[in-house]
Amino acid sequence: MNVAPHILRRAFRSLWENLYLNTVSTGVIAAALLLMGMSLWVQHNINSAVSSWTRDVHVSAYFQPDLPEPDREAIRDRIARDPKVEKVHYVTEEEARTWLVERVDGLDDVFDELGPGVLPASLEITLVDSNDLDAQMEALSPWLRDEEFAEVDYGREWIGRFETFLKVVKGLGATMGTLILVAALFLVTNTVYLVIYNRRDELEIQKLVGATTAYIVSPFIVEGFVHGLVGSLVALVGLYGAHSVLSSRLEAALTLGLVPELSFLPGAWVAGIVLIGLVLGVGAATVAVSRFIASAP
Amino acid sequence: MIRLYRVSKSYRDVAALQDITFNVGKGEFCYITGPSGAGKTTMLKLLYGAERPTSGKLLINGTDIAKLPKHDLPRLRRNMGIVFQDFKLIESRTVAENVGLALEVLGAPRERIQRQVRAVLNIVGLRGRGNALPHRLSGGEQQRVAVARAIVNDPSVLLADEPTGNLDGAMAIEVMEILQAINLRGTTVMVATHDTGLMQRFPYRVLRFRAGRLESGGNG
Repeated sequence: MNVAPHILRRAFRSLWENLYLNTVSTGVIAAALLLMGMSLWVQHNINSAVSSWTRDVHVSAYFQPDLPEPDREAIRDRIARDPKVEKVHYVTEEEARTWLVERVDGLDDVFDELGPGVLPASLEITLVDSNDLDAQMEALSPWLRDEEFAEVDYGREWIGRFETFLKVVKGLGATMGTLILVAALFLVTNTVYLVIYNRRDELEIQKLVGATTAYIVSPFIVEGFVHGLVGSLVALVGLYGAHSVLSSRLEAALTLGLVPELSFLPGAWVAGIVLIGLVLGVGAATVAVSRFIASAP
Repeated sequence: MIRLYRVSKSYRDVAALQDITFNVGKGEFCYITGPSGAGKTTMLKLLYGAERPTSGKLLINGTDIAKLPKHDLPRLRRNMGIVFQDFKLIESRTVAENVGLALEVLGAPRERIQRQVRAVLNIVGLRGRGNALPHRLSGGEQQRVAVARAIVNDPSVLLADEPTGNLDGAMAIEVMEILQAINLRGTTVMVATHDTGLMQRFPYRVLRFRAGRLESGGNG
């Protein structure tokens, strides 16, 4: 004796017979996951952008103007030997001037008038771990003495502030995501409950002819699984569509390098969205049938 | 088969049944009768486990229903057929699907369900009506579908709560003849009814209830 074929047949028949309510359940799950997916997509791309920016960031340490050239080279070699330092580039005054003049028209004459010593020589130091601002400052602090360096510019400082902002955005996203999922669970639970309520006579008859609770409940769980699966796939298709549209709209900015290349969610996140959809669908069905079973005579 | 010993049932402080004792033997046919509010339906509900006795012992095939865990109720009902006054058919399912439901919940294979459904539809005189929807049938035919569903898994007990209550005279007799035929095959049949005409036409033992007490017919 095997009840599984009967349960599956009943589940798919009910999906068809209650098409409107089932579409509503699936739509609610899809909408919730689409909103959550959009939030994740934004966070993912901001994270990618921050990572790409931090990879290019280095510390610029400007030498005291009167420090002799051999001392500067010795300091550079000393810092370069530190295992926490990935590379050190010594930028002479001439190199700095050339770099600027190439980018800003008319600066050459200005520098001629101002004379030498306007742009101090500097060291551009890239650390092995450039993501951790505190570690970066601690690693460099023994080397960056006041008598040798006039000024130190931590290019990463603003990224640190941006990361703080990002943490706030992530916190808000997580709170909003949770609220959306709870609201979706509530809506889907009530929709599934309506389906069950529509079929209450049938369920009562099933009980009277000897159906177990598992037999009565299982088709609804299967339906919840289908709601979750289809809802999450619809959300992912919508999300990919939005990603494609935004990517093409921002093409100009991407070419100029103003915005880093947009990428779709990683596979694990996509799997996570499908999993959340299944949990939402099956969870809502379980809550709804539990409510019904508890209130049934 | 069915043994009740000093069974009482109360809803809060209101006594629906008091101190009921009787036995029904295997293969017996008996009526539960009495005026409205006498406790007929409550008695049947106790027998199929929809209600639990407040006190006393209620044994069906040796199992005390009063102590039966809720999750064991399906097992009890699989050995029991139940027929109601309002037929309790699923309107969106065909006659064959309604009848086959009792086998479906057991996990019977489709071929077996189809075979047995055909056989019981023949017994209740609904040969060839398997694909009809219940609302296309007359009241008598609908009740015969309900009877077919109740006997399709060959139960040892058949309980019927006012099975002829919604039927005219001729249809009521048809249904009673079917119940009689089922009883002749060895099934214990208990029918709750207040139709004295039918009880005279089909004379069997009568358990007469009044105000929640068994007035006559008990043998315990």
